[in-house]
Formats: sequence, structure tokens, C-alpha cells
Amino acid sequence: MHDILQELERKRAQARLGGGERRIAAQHGKGKLTARERIELLLDAGSFEEWDMFVEHRCHDFGMAEQKIPGDGVVTGYGTINGRLVFVFSQDFTVFGGSLSEAHAEKICKLMDQAMKVGAPIVGLNDSGGARIQEGVASLGGYAEVFQRNVLASGVVPQISLIMGPCAGGAVYSPAITDFIVMVKDSSYMFVTGPEVVKTVTHEEVSAEELGGAVTHTTRSGVADLAFENDVDALLMVRRLFSYLPLNNREPPPLRRSGDPVDREDHSLDTLVPDNPNKPYDIKELVYKIVDDGDFFELQPDYARNIVIGFARMDGHPVGIVANQPLVLAGCLDIKGSIKAARFVRFCDAFGIPVITFVDVPGFMPGTAQEYGGIIKHGAKLLYAYAECTVPKVTVITRKAYGGAYDVMSSKHLRGDVNFAWPNAEIAVMGAKGAVEIIFREDKNDPTKLAAREAEYKARFANPFVAGARGYIDDVIQPHETRKRICRSLTMLRGKKLENPWRKHGNIPL
Amino acid sequence: MFNKILIANRGEIACRVIKTARRLGIRTVAVYSDADRDARHVELADEAVHIGPAPSRESYLVMDRIIEACKATGAEAVHPGYGFLSENETFARRVEEAGIVFIGPKHASIAAMGDKIASKKLAAAAGVSTIPGHDSPIESADDAVAIARRIGYPVMIKASAGGGGKGLRVAWNDKEAHAGFTSCRNEARNSFGDDRVFIEKFVEEPRHIEIQVLGDAHGNCLYLWERECSIQRRHQKVIEEAPSPFLDEKTRRAMGEQAVALARAVQYQSAGTVEFVVGKDRSFYFLEMNTRLQVEHPVTECITGLDLVEQMIRVAAGEKLSFGQDQIRRVGWAIECRINAEDPLRNFLPSTGRLVRFEPPPQTMQAGESVPEAGGIRVDTGVAEGGEISIYYDSMIAKLIAYGKDRNEAIARMREALNGFLIRGISSNTGFQAALLAHPRFVSGRFHTGFIAEEFPKGFTLESVSHPDPEFLLALAVAAHVRLRQRAARISGQLPGYEVRLADEYVVMRKGAVGRHEHTRVRVAHDGECLAVQFGERTRRISLRGAIRDIVARGEIDGRPFCAQVERVGLEYHVLHDGMQVHVRVLTPRAAELQALMPYKAPPDLSKFLLSPMPGLLVEVAAQPGQRVLAGEKLAVIEAMKMENILVAAQDCVVAEVVARKGESLAVDQVIMRFE
Repeated sequence: MHDILQELERKRAQARLGGGERRIAAQHGKGKLTARERIELLLDAGSFEEWDMFVEHRCHDFGMAEQKIPGDGVVTGYGTINGRLVFVFSQDFTVFGGSLSEAHAEKICKLMDQAMKVGAPIVGLNDSGGARIQEGVASLGGYAEVFQRNVLASGVVPQISLIMGPCAGGAVYSPAITDFIVMVKDSSYMFVTGPEVVKTVTHEEVSAEELGGAVTHTTRSGVADLAFENDVDALLMVRRLFSYLPLNNREPPPLRRSGDPVDREDHSLDTLVPDNPNKPYDIKELVYKIVDDGDFFELQPDYARNIVIGFARMDGHPVGIVANQPLVLAGCLDIKGSIKAARFVRFCDAFGIPVITFVDVPGFMPGTAQEYGGIIKHGAKLLYAYAECTVPKVTVITRKAYGGAYDVMSSKHLRGDVNFAWPNAEIAVMGAKGAVEIIFREDKNDPTKLAAREAEYKARFANPFVAGARGYIDDVIQPHETRKRICRSLTMLRGKKLENPWRKHGNIPL
Repeated sequence: MFNKILIANRGEIACRVIKTARRLGIRTVAVYSDADRDARHVELADEAVHIGPAPSRESYLVMDRIIEACKATGAEAVHPGYGFLSENETFARRVEEAGIVFIGPKHASIAAMGDKIASKKLAAAAGVSTIPGHDSPIESADDAVAIARRIGYPVMIKASAGGGGKGLRVAWNDKEAHAGFTSCRNEARNSFGDDRVFIEKFVEEPRHIEIQVLGDAHGNCLYLWERECSIQRRHQKVIEEAPSPFLDEKTRRAMGEQAVALARAVQYQSAGTVEFVVGKDRSFYFLEMNTRLQVEHPVTECITGLDLVEQMIRVAAGEKLSFGQDQIRRVGWAIECRINAEDPLRNFLPSTGRLVRFEPPPQTMQAGESVPEAGGIRVDTGVAEGGEISIYYDSMIAKLIAYGKDRNEAIARMREALNGFLIRGISSNTGFQAALLAHPRFVSGRFHTGFIAEEFPKGFTLESVSHPDPEFLLALAVAAHVRLRQRAARISGQLPGYEVRLADEYVVMRKGAVGRHEHTRVRVAHDGECLAVQFGERTRRISLRGAIRDIVARGEIDGRPFCAQVERVGLEYHVLHDGMQVHVRVLTPRAAELQALMPYKAPPDLSKFLLSPMPGLLVEVAAQPGQRVLAGEKLAVIEAMKMENILVAAQDCVVAEVVARKGESLAVDQVIMRFE
């Protein structure tokens, strides 16, 4: 017995050391933490239960039989974040460069299967050179096993990926399927083909950082949601993100009251929207001022900035916020913005998180770049997401709601539960000037007449009452009472039950 | 008494005059420009008249518009406030001619004091001490020495066309006077093409001290003590106080009597101010007379208990002053800080925009009302949260006035008030002011007009401030963090046996330059309402009141109340107190250990180009090649979707080339400007 315990300790010690002290030092030298250090930061102290520490690869080719390290390059298990259950895998770059062997993949799959059985989120910490080449197709099979589980878990348990080192080739598709991707600046990258292949094939000279670094993916491609300076920042912020997510699609999102009064008024909001309809303002000020404690967890802050998305709490309950941003592109909907918001709305819908939408949208972005890029199909994604969404939906039109974009942005017609408008809201097919130029084409050479028509059109439509008269707007509210009115609506909606007709799945315009 | 008056001004002073008028039962008329449509003074007044577009020369400075507004509303008198038309002789005369009373001195008095040289001669004739000097150009070095001897050393030799330190010499003896004259004249000839050189007495360690006077139409004229205004930055007053910590009774009386003599000499009938420069030997010399209400008048109101605006209105209405010189009290100590929309960390560049947050400290005194004996805090302002600070007017957005039984009490009150003054959306100088108030030299009262230039030679930087109790700042961050951990512990869905336990040990990491972080390990324990934070051997007991969302943090540290600001920005806490700003993280010891392994990253080299962020029309190019621009300064305006988007400089830089032309249609990422 004693011998066995000694052997256990020896094996454990070896596993904990991963690829050895020299490789750990190299990992630190690159500004990266080890797989276990990362888990320590992500989880509550002392909560981690590790599995499969003794798993080893089964490869005999290319001298691999002599190189075995317990754990085989990935640390798996479960633990808690602020007391709430989470399953974690953390790839260990110090062991065979974190490469994915068949055994390595099996560990991840086992963990995912268990997370699905108990209904708990999965966080993956990716730091891997790619497939274990010595194992060939067995490694590729391993990837696909993981992808399949990612897909089946999608919409059942939240999945978060942290990219904390290389993630290239097929490996990118596991994170790609998960709900959120968080990257670390300068030490992580994601691409399907690396700079060398790119150079050979397309003769483009590009660095790994430029091709697939954190900045690239959070500003240009939109692949990643958040980028942080280092491992510590990324892990601590994921803990914060986790606080908004339910454990699974049957559990309610986590309640955390803070004592911020639900009827708190903020009179500075009454002057948020400038008198001049062409002057921009920062919609995030509204978000920060109405949510609990001013805490807003923004996602994709540097991508498609014309639309703002993120999590917050209202009266302790998590909500998803979607808001047009007048500061950028006048808040127009474009391809990138539509996709960004659509995916977020679908996440909220899948996990029972109510969606609050702030609307100030002059329309869809015009231009050949948009039309050739398929704005029709991509804009339809957002429409589809809102229309399909059955969680409570509260909408506030702060200024403009023009044209098709009005319909898309969680309108009454797309089963918006409560739709408010601020007093200066304009709900119309288009701005007064454009409308008058079409309706009164015969007056186009008479500026005085046109101006009079414009004033007439403005008086008739540049207000929330026309929509109100048809019940498209439930009430016109004062900006300062926005928090109170949203909180009340959400409380009323807590028992909402709405189901879409049975189908295998819809056919969202991908 | 008047039934209705018009206030020909805006901002805090218009609001302040309205308050007194309201108390006196006088109806008020405000005037406003396009930019001030929703301004506070418009809201406070009984009536308001629009007088033109935003630029003041098309609105607040247009005499006809203001006189028309008086006539249209039936206002019997007009209060000009300060600035704008307040010292405009023509305006005063035209108002009088229109049969409206000008609440201020007669136009002749304004005229007499309007010209610097004439007013100096007038003052000398009235027996006021003027600075000894020679007021015609000096011919030779020998003459210079003779004149310098007559004036008495030290003397200042200055070029007529000089300025900004150029063409200026100080001489302490004959030899220096001789050499100084020659070099000054050469420099003047070469630099300015004008070799006229003058000599006057050099005042050592000069203070700026002014006397408040008050006269009526019945020949009465009194002085309401002095105001010390030596804390200045580039000749702009920053802090004023009354009384002066420097004057003795004899000097005070002499200055007061001379000020009254001058006021009498010009038949002064209103509130006015006689400014003096005072040397370290308490010699004082007349500078100029301001024939209006001063910005800093509230400190005089505090110590005398008089309402200066009320006195101005009564005098203008022909009333006699109801008190004599010996009935004017001088009780306690008052300090005023000017709160400006500017960024001290960016060389005091004006800051404009929306007041996202504007929460002045609690007011316990009000303008226009009696001064509480126990003292208190008064805030004179013309802005409100959610308001807009426009580019058109003065950057002063508020005046913070603290009154106490003595100077120390006034300073303590002011420090607390500055710490609790929350301004966000624009930058303000509250931190700079707090640093001044905490400066030992200010506290000691030993300063002169060079104080700021001497103590902050490189401008205001975070490094130029020190804090006597840095532990307190860290304890405050820990308390804020613990409160958030307590909130985290309330989350639903925790696994039995895994519930959040509050840590009893933390490491506070203070960010230093180039990645050098300072780690401080603390132990924490809950002790009733208090948190005991243990730094090595010492334990600090801190409590924090208010809600999580409050940036202003009030509570007690070791039994003493404090007021500071704590803001969570990402993973950091920004703690502000007494002008000190620290950015810290509160980590578990293990996290701190791992954090220490993280590499330092130099800030990225930002692009040398200004790119168009959107397709649109370039409607304005606001910087020219060769121009040095500061971060945040406007570079260009792009109109897209009928909306104006302002592009600002991301960092301080020099424009090398403007690539795009005004009026050009831009594509996304098209280059507008290149920087050096």
C-alpha cells in the first residue's frame, strides 16, 4: 500500500511538472502562464478537481514510445467560479507543444460529455501547436470528436474559449463554434493557414500577429470577442463574464442583487439626445447609467462599433444589451454590425437571457461594398434572430427608427414584448427631407415649397405618436425613468412563455 | 427698488445675480445665445430673451440686442456681471441714455479707470502708492544707473516691446543696472526692432492683493477688506482667499484707505476692486482698478456677511449704504477655487463636451443668502449634469467656496469639497486644485504669484503630487474590492461546499512606470461596519458608505471621516484623493505572484496617419502642415449620413502633410493626414 501511495505521489509530481522546469521557464519567458497556473487563476482557490492526470498517449512511431508525460498535454477537470460549477480543459504547451493526440482529445471529450450530463459550462484554454503529427489521422479524428461535441453542446451549455498561444489549422474550429472567444495580445494567434503557407500561395508577406493576432480578430475579422494584454487579465475578465451566464439552457441566469434601486432616476439622460438630429451622442452613456451599479460587460467593443452589445444586470437579473451607436457610422446597420448583433441575440435567446434593445438607427448602410458583400442576407440574420427570439424583449427607441432597420431592431412586429419610445423619437420610413423629395417630386425645384412640405412631414411623422396610435409603441417614456420602466417590464415578463412551432431547425440565412 | 432687472451675462454669474434678485423680490430677465438655449441661467430666470448665435461677439457683446431686450421686457435696470460688457464705458453710457439703470459704476468712472496709464496718474494724484519708475525711455547706461539709484534697488529694466520674460533684466546694484541696460537695449533692438527701455521698482516675491470697495450715490465710500489672489497660473487667478494670510492691520488699513481715496476721486458708485502688488516687505503699489463685480467676490461676502450683488442693486436704485466703515465685520476665513473645464495633465488644454457626471459637493451656504456662522460650502455654477460645455465661452464652470472659522478650517473644508466634486465627461482641474490645497507652502501661507510656476515647473503631472498617507489610498481600494467580493458572494446557483469565501489576504498592486509594479501585502478582517486592513504591523480601520455605483467614496479611516473618489476601470481601481491619483489592482497573493510574471508592454507606436474611419465628406480640416497638435485636439470633421463626425488626434504630434482636401469624398481608411 505504502509503495502504491509513493508511486502515486511520484506520478502526480511528474504530471504537475508537465514538460519540465526548462520548458516552464520558456513558457514564462514568452510571457505566458502554464496550463495549471491558468486554471488556478480562472477557478476559485482550491476548487479544482483534476481528472485523467495519468493518461498517456498510445503512439509508438517516431520514437514516441520513449516520450510519455502523464496528462499528455492537457489538464482537465472541474471546479467553480464564484461558487458556480464549470468544466475546464487547459492545454499544456510545455508537453509536446500542447499538440493534440488521440488521448489528449479523449480527455477533452470525456470532460465535455460530463459537462453535458450535469449541465455546466465548458471553458477551454487553448495553447497548442496543433495536431500531434506523429499520430497522423488519429489526431485529426480527435479534433473532429471535439468539434462534434462543441456543436451538440451549442445552445445547451455555455462554451467559452480562451486563446492563449497558437491555435492554427483545424484546431481553430473548436473555438469557432463556442459562444465566446477571448484572446491574449501578442502571445496568441488563430488562423487556418499560417504566414508561410500564405506567402507560398498568395505571395502576401504577413506576420502571425497581423494575420491572426488578438487585435486582428477583435477589430478586423470579428472572430474573437475580447482581447487582453496578458493571461492574467484575460482569465480574471472571463471570471467576470461567467457571472452573467446560466449553467445551462434550462437553468435561469444567475441572480445577483446589489441594492441598486430599480426606481433610480437619472435626469441627465433627459439631455442625452442632442436637439440637432444630425449630432451624434454616446449610447453607452445610457447603458452605463441605467444598468445595475453601472456595470456593463461589453463584447466586441472594437469591432462593428456602430452597434454595441454586452451583458449587464437589471435588478440583479442578467440581461443582454443591444444598442445602435450614433457615434459610429451614425448608428447604421451594416454587414458586420448585423452579424455581431444577430449572434449575440441568439446566444441570449438560447440561454434565457432577456434582450434590451436601444434603437437609434437611420437605416441600413448604403453602397456597393455593402450590397456586393451581401447585406441582404446578413441583415436578414439580425431580423431572423430577433423574430425567432422568445425570451423577454424590451425595446426603447431613443431617436431615429427609420425604414427596414426599424422593423429589424426588435420592433413590436417581431414580437417585441414592451416597446417604449423617448419623446423625441421619430419612427418613419425615412428622414423628412428624403421623404418629401420623393412624395413631392414636382416641387423639387422650389426650395421654399419643399421646406414647407418638409416641416409638414416632420410635424406629422417626426414623433412617436403615429406609431403609438397603432400600438406599435406601448408607451412614450421620459429618458430619466428608463431604468424604472425597463425593470418593471422585465419583472412583468418573468413568467413569459412563448414557443416557436416545432421544426427540426429553422434555416437562418447563413 | 426695481421691479425687474435684466442680467446681461451667462453662466454662474448670471445664476448668482438671479438668486439675489429673487430674494429681493425683483423679477429677472436672462439673455441667451443659441448655445445656451437650455442653460441653467435661462431656466432660473423669470423670462429669457434670445440674443443671437453662439459666438459672444454676435450675442452677449451686442449692445443693441441687450438694450432691445431690456425694452421688450420692461427691465428697469441691467446687471452686466463680469467680463462681456461689464467694463465697457460705451455700453454703460448707452444703457443710461436709454433710460435704463446700469447696475455698476457711472460710465465716467469706468472710463477713468479703463486706461492703464491714465488710471495710474489719477491714482498717484489721489495719493495712492504707485510703483516707482521712470516713464520715458532711458537714453544711456549712466542715466539708467542714476534713475535706478533714485528709485532704489532692486529695479527692473524692461523693454517697451518686451514680454514673456524677453527683454527683462533685474538689477540689484549700479554695476548690474549699467550692464542690464545695455544688454536689454540690444536684445530689444534685435528681437523687437524697438529699443525703448524703461526702469521701474522691482517688487520681490510679489503678491496680488486687492481691496473691495463699495460706494453709493450719496458720497459714501467704504472698503470691504482685501482678497489674496496670489495663486495664479499664467496670470489667471486659480485660488483666492479673504482675508490675506500676509497683511497686518496697519497695511490692511493703509491699502483700504488708499483704495477708498481712489474710488472717491472717480465718484465711484458701486462695488469695485482696487488691485495692488505687495512686496515681501509689505510695500504695496497700485496696479489697476476693476470697475465691476469680481469673480472672487464670494470670499468677501463670506467674511463680511454682505451680499455684494444686493449692495450693487441697492446703490444703483439710489439707496444709501446702510452701514459705515466700522460696522463692516471681518469674521472667519474664506477660500475660493475656480473649477475649470481643462485638463491639467495635458498642459491645461481646454476640455469641452458633455457633462456626463457633474455632482458638486453638498452645499451648506447659498449665494444671495445669509452666511451661516458655522461656515460651510458654497457652489456657484451655471452648469448641470447632462449639460454641454461649449467651445464658445470661458472654461470656468464653477466656483467652489469654503468658509470656516479660521484658515485651517477653511482649507480642510475645501479639501473635502474638492475630493467630493465629481466631474466626468470632460476634464477638470479639481485634482490640481486639491493638490494645491494640500501643498505645504499653500498651507503655510508663504507664497507669491510665482508659486505655481515654481512648484510645478514642468506643469502638472501625476508625479508632481505626493500624498502623506499612501496606505490610506491602498486601504480604500481594498475596501472597494472587498465590497465587490461581498456582492459576488451573493450570486445564485453556488454549489454546496463551494460557496464564495472572502479572502483574508490580498496584494495591492500599484502600477509603476515601464512595468515596475509595487506590491503591498495586506491582511483583512471584518470588524462590525469596519474593515481592518493590516499593513505589516499597522492596522488601518476603514469603513465605506454609499452604494457601489457611487464614485465619490465617503467613510471613516481610523475614526476620521474622509472623502475621496474610487472608480473601477477594467481590473483596476482608480483612487483619487487630495490631487493624488493611483491606479491599483487588488489581487489574491497567488494572482499577484502570477501577475508579476507578465511581461511589460510598451505602449504601441500609433499610426503616423489619420485615416477616414468611414465613407463620407471631408467638411473640415482643422490642422495645417507643421502644426503641433495635442492629443484630443480636433483634426478633421467628416460628414457621413448627414452626421458630423469629429476626428481627434490620438496623441501629441506634428502634422506633416494634409493629404485629403476639404470637400473631398472619402473612402474608408483613406489617408487624411500624415504626421511627422
